Amino acid sequence: MDMKLLLDWRLHLTVILASLLAEWIGILRIPLGPGTLLLLPLFYAFLVGVLLNPHLFMSMQRIIPKPVSNAAGPLIMISVLPFIAKFGSTIGPAIEQLVAAGPALILQELGNLGTMLLALPFAVLVLRMGREAIGATYSIAREPNIAVISDKYGLRSPEGIGIMGVYVVGTMFGTLYFALMAGYLASLDLLDIRALAMACGVGSGSMVAACSGALAEAAPHLRDELLAFSGASNLLTYATGLYVSLFIALPAAEWLYKRLGGAMFEEIRHETH
Amino acid sequence: MKPTETTAPNGGFDASALVELRPEQQLGKTALLLAAVCVAAWISNMVNGAPLHLALPGMLILYAMVMIGLVIGRFVPFYLPSVAWVSLVSIVVTLPAFPGSGWIVGQLSHVDFLAVVTPVLAYAGLALTGREFTMFRQTGWKLVIVSLLVFTGTFVASAVIANLLL
Repeated sequence: MDMKLLLDWRLHLTVILASLLAEWIGILRIPLGPGTLLLLPLFYAFLVGVLLNPHLFMSMQRIIPKPVSNAAGPLIMISVLPFIAKFGSTIGPAIEQLVAAGPALILQELGNLGTMLLALPFAVLVLRMGREAIGATYSIAREPNIAVISDKYGLRSPEGIGIMGVYVVGTMFGTLYFALMAGYLASLDLLDIRALAMACGVGSGSMVAACSGALAEAAPHLRDELLAFSGASNLLTYATGLYVSLFIALPAAEWLYKRLGGAMFEEIRHETH
Repeated sequence: MKPTETTAPNGGFDASALVELRPEQQLGKTALLLAAVCVAAWISNMVNGAPLHLALPGMLILYAMVMIGLVIGRFVPFYLPSVAWVSLVSIVVTLPAFPGSGWIVGQLSHVDFLAVVTPVLAYAGLALTGREFTMFRQTGWKLVIVSLLVFTGTFVASAVIANLLL
């Protein structure tokens, strides 16, 4: 992509102003049932971005022309890197606690398989989805998982469409959803908050950020420890995620799909069309 | 990779777009863009983090960590996502045994954790295209439900396992 667009001052100035506004509003706590929803500045920043998006609101083209908006895409990946570095810096100083929690950290990676236990049966039995369901539910659909699907089925296959759908939803709403879910579960006090921090690590960079940020707000006295746990868990996810998804999760999803009779629905659908 | 996928006519979910997003493949370009997004994070950090002059060394450290991580990712003979390398660099230099780690951690404490993420989401909001909205109108609602179940399932399963083992 053209560097002029990527470095367009209107884009970066808009982002800076949106961020300043969002930071100034600060964190809001909304009681909901037995728990509390945490609204973080990153929500408002996202919302302001959407409201100024020229693809959604034509009149915004005067501020941000469409090509400039398209340039924001590659910048997401780059802007998440300084945050990853900040994240890593919480792991180093906490290395002793992390080693002590070692087995829990490593085995919770298998929680990635929990994805398909809930989502795959629902997709096949309730929504009557075909093989899209395999791509959509075998993993949390981050970049390494996409690489696996693209390698095995191609991205234009039903499996590929499934995973790209979840990828897009994850990119758009995953961050917000993870933060809301984590903050809410933390306020319910059912699980050890350090376990929730580890679970935050299953997502991609911005999901982990929002998720552990919400936890740190819910339990400020444990802030550094929580950030270290989710950071370490995320690193393990990146290191092992590709292999777990290729050798365990994908074969398991294929097997479960057949068991659920997914192939049968496919045939019915072909006949009725 | 099949060639038909990389030449998707509508610029849909093609693999080339993902490859282009890998920042370690074009270091020079990334160095400039990274500087721009760091400035955004640095300014955003003013409100709840620290004033500009206090946070400057910390932001520069973050910038350097990212670049070192990307350079490593570019030249090692096997593939790990660039985020994993950046993260490793940052962990190593903040280990208590690493020379000067105390100073590094001290400088980084002026950079607020959440303030660095706020601009990321602003970029994300601006980056949405007509394609995403079209997708949601078509098969979107099913995929949205499935996605939320995927996120919930993974998160809760991981948390339960970790909770049992802690």
